[in-house]
Amino acid sequence: MTFEELYHTADVLVRVRGASINEVFADAARALFSVMYGDCEDGGIVQTLTLEADDRESLLHDFLSELLFITDVENVVFCSFDVEVRDGDLSVVMRGEPFEHEKHSGGTIVKGISYSGLQIVKDDETYEVDVLFDV
Amino acid sequence: MIEGVLRAGTYEWEVPVGFVPNMRVPGRFFLSEDLGNTLEAGAVQQLANVATLPGIVKNALAMPDIHWGYGFPIGGVAAFDMTEGVISPGGVGFDINCGVRLVASPLTADDLAGTKRRLIEEIFQAVPTGVGARSSIRLSNKDLTGMMTDGTRWCVDHGYGMESDLAHSEEGGAMENADPDAVSAKARQRGLPQAGTLGAGNHFLEIQVVREILDPAAAAAMGITEGQVCFMIHCGSRGLGHQVCTDHLKVLEKATKKYGISLPDRQLACAPVDSPEGRSYFGAMACAANYAWANRQIIMHEVRRVLTTIFDVAYEDLKLVYDVAHNVAKYETHQVDGRQQEVCVHRKGATRAFGPGAPDIPQAYAAVGQPVIIPGSMGTSSYLLRGTEIAMNRSFGSTCHGAGRVLSRSQAKKEVTGKELREQLAKEGIYVRAHHDSVLAEEAPGAYKPSDEVVRVVDRVGLSTLVARLEPQGVIKG
Repeated sequence: MTFEELYHTADVLVRVRGASINEVFADAARALFSVMYGDCEDGGIVQTLTLEADDRESLLHDFLSELLFITDVENVVFCSFDVEVRDGDLSVVMRGEPFEHEKHSGGTIVKGISYSGLQIVKDDETYEVDVLFDV
Repeated sequence: MIEGVLRAGTYEWEVPVGFVPNMRVPGRFFLSEDLGNTLEAGAVQQLANVATLPGIVKNALAMPDIHWGYGFPIGGVAAFDMTEGVISPGGVGFDINCGVRLVASPLTADDLAGTKRRLIEEIFQAVPTGVGARSSIRLSNKDLTGMMTDGTRWCVDHGYGMESDLAHSEEGGAMENADPDAVSAKARQRGLPQAGTLGAGNHFLEIQVVREILDPAAAAAMGITEGQVCFMIHCGSRGLGHQVCTDHLKVLEKATKKYGISLPDRQLACAPVDSPEGRSYFGAMACAANYAWANRQIIMHEVRRVLTTIFDVAYEDLKLVYDVAHNVAKYETHQVDGRQQEVCVHRKGATRAFGPGAPDIPQAYAAVGQPVIIPGSMGTSSYLLRGTEIAMNRSFGSTCHGAGRVLSRSQAKKEVTGKELREQLAKEGIYVRAHHDSVLAEEAPGAYKPSDEVVRVVDRVGLSTLVARLEPQGVIKG
């Protein structure tokens, strides 16, 4: 795992680090699903998604928000993400399994992705971002 | 106390202009010395950030359950001028009209002996809970529109309640100016299968017993007696409300730039109250708020139905005491500097607490003030209070909403396992039911400020005064 949970009393704050921007987006998505459902395996479900946004932070915010929508209406739990972030848009291939009450009920619902403190910074060769999930 | 914060009274503190750049008014919050030990610097900073927003009236306020959130602090209250001021989803939150209702029954604690477990199990079967919960109600898009515009009224018209429920809710269970056209297809898609579901996280349904009457006259007016069995339902607008917030945040992010508003936190994205973007958010937020009232109404209907099958009680004898919203923005009229002014009040993790004689209070409570329901953390006491004139003058008719966390969810899980907690509560006679034990640990009582101390402060300051204390007997965790 290349994300860690930071201290936050009310909500869940995760710090994601990666060698590339694609990795940061993929791990932020994995963190989101880990908070919501715990463990997940590739169960043969494959979906793709493309998105546009004005800046990279908005792109990350919209990407994670879109995942919340998809998991809520389609009852799918994703565990891996091949993300390609470009200037102003992204495309992603997501893999996962159907939601099962017994297996996936140990986590908590993420209500939204906050813009608070959402800033992608690059230090030498590492990208880093803190993302706050409202739970 | 955090450096830079000034004492303004026994339980009152001021965050002076200059605490963060561009504050327009001072921040004020209510807290005891004891609770001061748990105050996070981030929460005070967020309160100061609110004070930078255009058109803020008097003060950025926070209640004694103030804690660190995003955008506004949790426990935050702020009113904005209708022409100069702004409206922000950061002052409402993702779970629009997360709220709580109290239902009184003619049963007493003795009636629960030997049946408590069965009662909880049957309610657990009747009310979908937890992550991934789906409703057994099949709604059409027209039904959903009805729920979003008419809230509790839609439910009563469709057999999920009775006429007398309507008056016993903030806003009569439906806000005006709800605009279904401002609600996206995505939000509708999420709302359709989730009506009448409890959700997860800190949401719950509790069986409680009234253990202490602290204000006999007000308790009598609210139909509350010692030893009485009550039900408390805490949940919100589910995926529909979350999506409304997400959709409009995007729009308001752009509007912030369009109207030349500079912000210390992107989550405070906002637009003038009286702008197309501001009105559109308000209209969508009101739809989500009404959906939340309908949601709690349907859950209450299921509880009533289960009770009438187990006990010799009539549906009509299970009375809604009141229903309050915790996360909402409202157009309200308040006394400001000696004159009546319409303002847009944001309450984020705060409860309306209108005093005696205020508008929108049912006749039965006109003399005592609006009932205020403060849920405790799991396994601890909840409180019934009443709104006051002091709240009208000091906090735009607002008070606290709950206990407020002191431990993060992952810290709480390190302190105790869900199984240990369930067993410990069982020894105290509290039967807890959830899909997974793991969801219990993060809501352990030790993770929250003591609710007794939070309500003591609002009672002492007079933002609302104590009426009754209720103890849990059984808990369904979302």
